[in-house]
Amino acid sequence: MIGDVPRREQMSPAAAQAGVISALFIREMLTRVGRSRLGILWLMAEPIILSSMISLLHWATRSELPNGLPVFLFYALSYVPFMMFRSIVNRGSSGIQANISLLHHRRITLLDVMVARNLMEMMVCATVIALYMVIATLFLGEPPHAPALFVFGLALSALLANGLAMVLGSAQVVWEWIEHLVHPFTYLMLPISAAFFMLDMMPQETRELLLWNPLVHVHEMNRWAQFGDRVTPYYDISYVLLWIVLLNLLGMAGLRVARSRLSMSD
Amino acid sequence: MLELHNVWKVFESRQGHKEVLRGIHASFRRGQHVGILGRNGAGKSTLLRVLAGVEAPTRGYIRRSMSISWPLGGGYGIHTSLTGIANARFIARLYGMPLQRTEEFVADFSELGPYFHEPVKSYSSGMRSRLLMALSFAVDFECYLVDEALSAGDARFANKCLEVFEIRRQDAAMIMISHNASHVKRYCDTAAILRNGMLEFYEDVDEAIAAYQGL
Repeated sequence: MIGDVPRREQMSPAAAQAGVISALFIREMLTRVGRSRLGILWLMAEPIILSSMISLLHWATRSELPNGLPVFLFYALSYVPFMMFRSIVNRGSSGIQANISLLHHRRITLLDVMVARNLMEMMVCATVIALYMVIATLFLGEPPHAPALFVFGLALSALLANGLAMVLGSAQVVWEWIEHLVHPFTYLMLPISAAFFMLDMMPQETRELLLWNPLVHVHEMNRWAQFGDRVTPYYDISYVLLWIVLLNLLGMAGLRVARSRLSMSD
Repeated sequence: MLELHNVWKVFESRQGHKEVLRGIHASFRRGQHVGILGRNGAGKSTLLRVLAGVEAPTRGYIRRSMSISWPLGGGYGIHTSLTGIANARFIARLYGMPLQRTEEFVADFSELGPYFHEPVKSYSSGMRSRLLMALSFAVDFECYLVDEALSAGDARFANKCLEVFEIRRQDAAMIMISHNASHVKRYCDTAAILRNGMLEFYEDVDEAIAAYQGL
């Protein structure tokens, strides 16, 4: 019986890579969901509670939105993607030190760790958004105008956040003090990312300034994907893609530098 | 083959440079079982991590044409918040092993019984090392890197480890680091001493042990 040891399966490099990511992804999920049966609900509880509280606040104070846009939905569907961006950047940038013991397996690279973590974050937020959309369709008569575009928008902001998390995470390995700036930075991103207002409501100069921020484009696009022509969006996908490519390349280079500086001796 | 050419490892610390490895030349082939002896602080674990490819050498290069294990021992690679079975699945997915076979093997080998489904943090240290041994033996590497001896649990379990290890290492290489000469004598065919950041190879294990004990 003892002699009957398992043997490895032959596989392609792509399959091996997928194996690494799925192992990390499932581990991340098990760690975050915990052992309780309700764990999966708790995972979504945080974005649901925060976004519904913020949205209820705006609804209760009778905020006015143009073209009769539904107040609760307007805020909820903007805040959840922003939260996803924020938590990918916050969690991802501290992910290097937290997962250092995983690097004892040579197959696991820092990029794998980052991708698995951020994929998990994206799926949680996508589920919450889908939930809001289903509720909106069934009970508010507000079906999404272009749901596929919304998914695309989520992927764009996840990619932006992934790049930024890699840049900040690797910078933290070199300069530890950066750690203290990540949270203030993501906090200050909220007012300038057009999550709680539309560019259409802004004067021309402000609008042009805000459009430097790639996240603004994503939020504007998402809003059109939900509400259609009741809003006038300002966005340029190619500008967002440029940021994505730059941040991710810089982040991957940063991870290479960081990796050689990490020591597992302690 | 696992070849090292003039491998240096220098750590920067407040006290300045610390040269842990100072020009290591070595080559290890399949089927070779090499013991590396060294006093505490000689840089054995650093050497093992460099061999495993989890830490880059400061200078020099390493050529690997075998699949090499993670450094076995010392509790590396166990996730204490996950259950034993989740750890087994993690290793299986990571190294492309058949999922169910690996689970069965680890469950059977580690003898954890119902604890296999409990988080590792609730294990005793004996149970942890049994799980670790089972996880290590579950993957068929071409070269095993062993940190200290394969001593886990009681004599019966130690024998069982030896038995599987014999199967696993038949056509695989093994590099074991230890400060304990008797472990090296028991498991290895050749030996080397790590001293002053350099490796001295000996044809004969007894010769190496005599030199080591004369240090």
